[in-house]
Amino acid sequence: MSSSTRTLRRALSAATAVLAATALAAGCASKTEEGDGGEKGAGDEFVIGYSQANNAEPYRAQLNKQLEHYVKDHPDLKLLPIADAQQDNAQQVSQIQQFVQQKVDILIVSPNEPAPVTPAVEQACAAGIPVIILDRTVDTECYTSFIGGDNYEIGKKAGEAVARELPDGGNVAELRGLLSTEPQKQRHDGFMEAIAANPDIKVVEEREGKWLQPEGTKIMQQWLARGTDIDLVYAHNDPMAIGAQQAAKAAGKDEIKFIGIDGLAIPDGGIRAVQQERMAYTYLYPTGAEEAAQTAADIAAGEKVEKKQTLGTVEITKDNAEDVYAKYDMSGKVD
Amino acid sequence: MTKTQPDPAPAGGEGPDGSGGPDGTGAVSRARRILPVLGSLQAYIGLILIVAIGVITKGDIFLNQTNLTNAVGAFATRGILAVGVTLVILAAGIDLSVGSLMGFASMSAAIMVAHHDMPVWLIVPACMLIGAGFGLANGIGTAWLKIQSFVMTLAMMSIARGLDRKMSDNESVGTLVAGPDGELTENSESFQKLGTPDNNVLEGILGPDGIYFPVLAFLMVCVVFHLLLSRTTFGRHIYAVGGNPTAARLSGINVTFVIIAVFTLSGMLAGFAGPIDAAYSVSADPQAGYTYELDAIAAAVIGGASLAGGKGTIIGTFVGALILTLLDNVLGLNAVDDNWQLVIKGSIVVLAVVLQRPDLLQSIKNGIDRLRGGRSRTGPGRTPSKARVPGPASAPASEETPR
Repeated sequence: MSSSTRTLRRALSAATAVLAATALAAGCASKTEEGDGGEKGAGDEFVIGYSQANNAEPYRAQLNKQLEHYVKDHPDLKLLPIADAQQDNAQQVSQIQQFVQQKVDILIVSPNEPAPVTPAVEQACAAGIPVIILDRTVDTECYTSFIGGDNYEIGKKAGEAVARELPDGGNVAELRGLLSTEPQKQRHDGFMEAIAANPDIKVVEEREGKWLQPEGTKIMQQWLARGTDIDLVYAHNDPMAIGAQQAAKAAGKDEIKFIGIDGLAIPDGGIRAVQQERMAYTYLYPTGAEEAAQTAADIAAGEKVEKKQTLGTVEITKDNAEDVYAKYDMSGKVD
Repeated sequence: MTKTQPDPAPAGGEGPDGSGGPDGTGAVSRARRILPVLGSLQAYIGLILIVAIGVITKGDIFLNQTNLTNAVGAFATRGILAVGVTLVILAAGIDLSVGSLMGFASMSAAIMVAHHDMPVWLIVPACMLIGAGFGLANGIGTAWLKIQSFVMTLAMMSIARGLDRKMSDNESVGTLVAGPDGELTENSESFQKLGTPDNNVLEGILGPDGIYFPVLAFLMVCVVFHLLLSRTTFGRHIYAVGGNPTAARLSGINVTFVIIAVFTLSGMLAGFAGPIDAAYSVSADPQAGYTYELDAIAAAVIGGASLAGGKGTIIGTFVGALILTLLDNVLGLNAVDDNWQLVIKGSIVVLAVVLQRPDLLQSIKNGIDRLRGGRSRTGPGRTPSKARVPGPASAPASEETPR
């Protein structure tokens, strides 16, 4: 028993040693290969490492696909397999550090949360790697370019649409995203500013729907049970709006209008829901993938890039839904 | 194989209905037979409390059939998961994978209806089979490979979620599928019956409007598994295994089989909940079922199931599920601030569990006695009266209170 364990342990430690040696050798090899990475010739590939906060959100899955698609437009760029932090700050930090170790030529980061990821981003900056921050902010200014949507502006546009839809005033219910998140706050604040223009528009109900479709259904059912008179529901994302619409339809309240945000070009997304008249409006929350690929190409070419790129939105109604869908539909464009 | 073995006494555990003797006739015996099943009124005090708050604050709005249907319907899938988790907890295990398994089954169902145009009568059993497969793996890992169920099912939670996300490419899949004529396909139409709001089943058979399927499914699952636990040898074996596995093994129970079976059943129920979840949301989200296992475990534990195993009932779990969802409903109807809702929900759950503890009065008494006893040591002249000294009957109760 004990002798067999000893043999096993010896075998294990031998295996570990071999593994470590291989890893070391590989590390040295890659270092010598990329040792002169500083000055690249015209024909060389620029390697991009991308750390994504969480692949499991449909919006981010879409972003990944778009990035893979748009990077292909630039033959000198090569995107490494996208690293998924799975909503885990520690994992994202180690992923960024690994990209720095690998000496990627350009680093793109979609931070899970600003503060915890900041030191790792600073390490990358210190290593001389140009950093593109995509979608969410970090607490440092060392990056090369920030690309992100403007949630405040989107909320404001939604509020202006409400003012158009309800010119004589009316009752609005608001389904808010997870209350602790930044996009939720801005989508709320922008909306409130816009509807303040008409004092007859009242927010009669507001609840935290946590970005989730079943929550949208459940909360809408409770609002209707309370007997609240609702003319329009403003949801901070499309799934909540669609969930609430389902509940209203079941209760026979077909006259209530729904507004969402995201406008994902997937069969189950908000653009299709607008086309099917389940929602009146949705607002494109741009992924920034196209701009990120372009910025990376500009960096590779040695051109100057803008430090802050704020992306606009597109108001999606029944009229332009088909066109917007076709533009952002990634099925068949990436494998 | 276990059927031929003599029934052992539920070792160390508490049987679902130990009494129910054959004495007496007519109404009396019937009442005796039913009462132990339902237990004492005190077990429902948490639920009664919440219903009372609902009626007092919102009256007919709360008691309205539509509202109650919506409230139970919103929790039905988690309720079904809770029944499966109860079986596992009774056998002294835990199943953390049910939320992910439901998510996987939900995505499977949506893909079957949206991409393969499969009929609902095929989708539901297929999803149950898928869930049972995952559950079987949980059982084998726990019983044969001797991995602690917490670790085994935690791993399965990750595996199933990963497969779910891979299968869906992280995109939600809608279940409303239009045919070439622009109308919903026949299979998509019938899929809605599983739980899309405003779709009922059995119209004309169960009342003119029929019944909302998630509610019916939850009730059916509760009845079937209540009978399984209380009326079959296998049910008694689950209690025995959870109460004392060694004693169970010595008395001839195939413990390995029982453990594998409860995990398989739990997985099967998660598979059953999947299509209902997809129909409720008219889509399957790659994150569907996230943290549902916690709600399911909470319902079981609020209902009196002991995480140490061998103790708990399906009726308790049913009550626990009602407490959770009606509490959410009452707070929602009263438009309570979202942040306070979290605080109130937590507090009321603690209160409900304490109030429905069977030894509540005894432990209060013991507590007072202990206080008095403490004082008597410091302050002379005060001695506890004989009546307040805990007798032998209260000894087990006081043993249980530190948990």
